[in-house]
Amino acid sequence: MWTFLRRRIISSALPLIVVIVGVFALARLTGNPASLYLPLNATEQMRTDFTERNGFDDPLLVQMANYFGGVLRLDFGVSLRTGEPAGEMVLRAFPATLQLAGVTMLLAVVLAVIVGSWAALKPNGIVDRISSFASMAAASIPDFWLAIMGIWVFAITLGWVPTSGVDSPTSWLLPIAVLLMRPFGVLVQIVRGAMVTSLSEPYIKLARSKGASEVRVVSRHALRNAAAPALTVAGDLAVGLINGAVVVESIFGWPGIGKLMIDSILQRDFAVLQAAVLLTAVSIFALNILIDLGYALLDARVRPSDRARKRRVTPAAAQERKLNVQPTR
Amino acid sequence: MSSSSSPSTHPQSRNPRPGFIGVAVAAGSLLLLSSCSVANSEPSTGTSSADLVRIVLSQEPPTLEPCEANLTSTGVVVRSNITEPLVERNPTTGDLDPLLATDWEATGDTEWTFTLRDDVTFQDGTPFNAEAAAFAIDRAVNSDLGCNVEGYVFGDDDLVVTAVDETTLTVSTVSPDPILPLRLSFVEIVPPSTDTAAKVREPVGTGPYAVKQWDAGTKLTLERNADYWGDAPAYAEAEYQWRAEGTVRAAMVTSGEADLAMGLGADDGAGDLGLDYPNNETVALRLTAEIPPLDDIRVRQAINYAIDKQGITDSLYQGAHIPAAQLVPEGIVGHNPDLEVWEFDVAAATALVDEARADGVPVDEKITMVARNAQFPKVSEMSQVLQEQLTQIGLNVELKMVDTTQHLQYQLRPFVTNEGPIALLIQHGNQAGDAAFSVEQYMTTTGAQSVFGTPEFDTMLTEASVLTGDERETAYQDIFAYQNEEIVQFAFIAHQTGVIGKAATVDYTPNSSSGDELRLAEITPAG
Repeated sequence: MWTFLRRRIISSALPLIVVIVGVFALARLTGNPASLYLPLNATEQMRTDFTERNGFDDPLLVQMANYFGGVLRLDFGVSLRTGEPAGEMVLRAFPATLQLAGVTMLLAVVLAVIVGSWAALKPNGIVDRISSFASMAAASIPDFWLAIMGIWVFAITLGWVPTSGVDSPTSWLLPIAVLLMRPFGVLVQIVRGAMVTSLSEPYIKLARSKGASEVRVVSRHALRNAAAPALTVAGDLAVGLINGAVVVESIFGWPGIGKLMIDSILQRDFAVLQAAVLLTAVSIFALNILIDLGYALLDARVRPSDRARKRRVTPAAAQERKLNVQPTR
Repeated sequence: MSSSSSPSTHPQSRNPRPGFIGVAVAAGSLLLLSSCSVANSEPSTGTSSADLVRIVLSQEPPTLEPCEANLTSTGVVVRSNITEPLVERNPTTGDLDPLLATDWEATGDTEWTFTLRDDVTFQDGTPFNAEAAAFAIDRAVNSDLGCNVEGYVFGDDDLVVTAVDETTLTVSTVSPDPILPLRLSFVEIVPPSTDTAAKVREPVGTGPYAVKQWDAGTKLTLERNADYWGDAPAYAEAEYQWRAEGTVRAAMVTSGEADLAMGLGADDGAGDLGLDYPNNETVALRLTAEIPPLDDIRVRQAINYAIDKQGITDSLYQGAHIPAAQLVPEGIVGHNPDLEVWEFDVAAATALVDEARADGVPVDEKITMVARNAQFPKVSEMSQVLQEQLTQIGLNVELKMVDTTQHLQYQLRPFVTNEGPIALLIQHGNQAGDAAFSVEQYMTTTGAQSVFGTPEFDTMLTEASVLTGDERETAYQDIFAYQNEEIVQFAFIAHQTGVIGKAATVDYTPNSSSGDELRLAEITPAG
């Protein structure tokens, strides 16, 4: 297992470097951000001073070398916009996004498993049809519209929840509900399809014929085999949430990394953008490794092989362990 | 001999499922348990009360550095709340009111002398005096910090600042500057302990409020300064939050989560709680008057005739905006009340275009109309209407919507020069109150945002800048008239109004400065 982890980490390093270099270069191709940070009637001297002060007049390779040198010292630069260390800004915002993404995905998976499994029990039945329609609608509704409608109905008209903000536990409800829709809708379809396939397998018939309850058949037999495709899709959806649910964060004032990243792009705040991309990329790679581990736990056929370490049990060892092994001749 | 083994002696195969499920449940539970509060956030002190005023902004202040206070996003919190200048412009009358300075006069061609209060301390307990004032001005204007107020108000010119005694300060300029006190109204006074090598994020000032706590990303709380030299403000605390979406800001006011919401649009849903007020913004098309066909004054005049300004403000802004005839609205020194808005006359516009075409002017050349996404409410709609109206009179106009950085390439020198004639949709705000702040950058031959001028016009502008009183007012009025008759670099569209959402729990009357400088001392509990 550790060999597997080591290999995955090493193989993730190159794409990570490519991502960082790519974002660094692309950001600087947008030009000098001096105009964004200086008054409109700033003189040429002021623009020159700004450019020199921030190193934008250095060759790109020099800037990149300085940046990577800083990264190795855990110095990600300073925000042009706020003057704060970029690393601090990003590390402050990221946990809020992780919380939102984590809770949303957990709920989405649990609900999708329940609804998808229920729908799969009777394909084309009433439950199946309703859940198909609802899940496709959920996967298609734009976040922005849903968020505004949610505020209008549940916050303004009914007064059940706050309009926005992070002030209370009820502040979570609308952002999660909005963010949940698409992953729930997609996962219901995936789980339903995989469960229909699993439930038609011979071992299911065998389990039923042996008297297993329907709950046991679904949860202990069919679901495990249906989990792999759902895990793949859930992983992709989770990656999207980790990138930052920009619309939800913007509308509800959620202090997450999605809005921070968008603002840093629009404001050409290079240091913050690079730090945010670095942190997000590392998280995504970590998530992919976790997904691979999840696969291995679900399916013994894809576990890292231990064939190289087959053990011979000597008679003496077997005796100690009270194994009934006859000595070879 | 045979070997045999019974199934019962085989090692039990491990079933990882319970372990995996257990880990998953534990992880999920941890997440759920942790979800009682969002990372790095504190609960709001939050409901409406006589001690707390809750304000929602459109964005978090990037910094509270006082020398950046001319930036709306910073100034709306800092100016006259945390820090104060020597003098302050009254947005209603346009006059300068005493603040940290009680008196001021021109004591030479290039020198002004200020008499300062002797009863003021900074929030850190240090005394305010002439030395502190000199330090603050020096830091904002003369240092290498690259302060925004330096560029916006003073340009390249440094000031010579001298503390004559504890309460007397002299400020000298390179050349005569009759509006120096007005310029100094943008310099927020900070104590000498303020960092001179770097901008500060949370300032110390002399104002009626001090920073209590800033939960970056979530909210900012100010608390009343118990040692404030002036009248104590009504509210003990002010809490700022921010929401990018105008409809959400309006919803916070209508649902009682906020007392004031800034920067709303007419359609954001504030309803009866929305207050219109004339802000200082003017929208116009700036025409590259040296590139054909815009180099022909008839074409520029035709553009002015072609725009239905009243129709635009009625249909897009519910009639709240005011059709414009010049770059500055009423209340700004130099505003010409006698200037007529260009009449909406498609026939006249078409005739001018046809006349130019007949004289060989390439009126079919593509004109690119450049506008900035989300610059102001319904900017896209306005841009499309403008494009349609200019196309109707026979011009070939293509609309290009761009983001802020791209827009600035068209807006500022060096301008984009390889795209032919440009009609740039601009929004100009004169928060200073004097036309000089507008015409210097927009109308001189070398102005930062001016694409066209003439030596004669430059002379008019230079002569006006050193005048005072009524002479100054008249000179700038003549300048705006001359622009419309002889230069026609612009097609003015409307003086905009802002909308503030105000809950019934507070009393506040917005003014032209409210968007740039929301004075907490002017907000009181209702009734």
